[in-house]
Amino acid sequence: MDFLTSLKISSSGMNANRKRMAAISSNIANAEVTQTPEGGPYRRKEVVLGAEPARENFSEILEGELDEKAQTVHATEVISTNRPPILKYEPGNPHANAEGMVAYPNINTMEEMANMISASRAYEANISAFNTTKGMALKALDIGR
Amino acid sequence: MEINDKTMKALATSLNFRQMRQEIISSNIANSETPGYKAKRLDFEDALARALDVDGTLSMNTSNPGHYDVGGGGFSNLEPEITEDSNGPVSEDGNTVDRDKEMALMAENKILYDASVQLINKKLGMKKYLLNSER
Repeated sequence: MDFLTSLKISSSGMNANRKRMAAISSNIANAEVTQTPEGGPYRRKEVVLGAEPARENFSEILEGELDEKAQTVHATEVISTNRPPILKYEPGNPHANAEGMVAYPNINTMEEMANMISASRAYEANISAFNTTKGMALKALDIGR
Repeated sequence: MEINDKTMKALATSLNFRQMRQEIISSNIANSETPGYKAKRLDFEDALARALDVDGTLSMNTSNPGHYDVGGGGFSNLEPEITEDSNGPVSEDGNTVDRDKEMALMAENKILYDASVQLINKKLGMKKYLLNSER
């Protein structure tokens, strides 16, 4: 139980939100991409967040009930599969299929922008928590001065 | 005048618990968008008040050195309580963290931490003054 754990938790939050940001910018940049190396249109990326105990080594885990203690956040990038591509009739497009239809990624730019603001605010909140913890740790050094 | 008197012990304990609370708040903020995460709270004020036992009503009297001092407890075995905050807003993914509230709690926690540090410094200052008063 020390300040380093708090700092670790806050930095895990920053890291998770940076990953979200990367996925969102990738989605916005590739919103109109109809051909990818994997084949087919670009598929929307999503980041799922999960909580895990901040304590890692054995003695720390022994010390307390795991689920009640402080938790870091970890982010995993997944490709969302539940959105079928949008088909548009563009016979002149080199990526068109035999019927002249082109598959576009199903990305709603407005939704991505909203998620981006959310990720950005969450990132700022984590920075501010980090700075507060740092301030407290430095204040503790003033004891007895 | 003891160097490590009751006030000093209480202040040191509160520093320790505020540090733990900071950890819990950091965890809440980091997980403010994690589906299913429940906001956590750390309560130590009651335990600390019991240990301090300011008005002496909580501890049993001991009339024999062989008696154990029950009730007041002391500072060594204080356990803070970590609970899930049940009266926050629940979002559709089951998360109960209110980020603004966490920020406010964090600010409060930091101010009170700094206050404890300042009080410790004042106490130490008084002791230093005492030590120098003979010269």
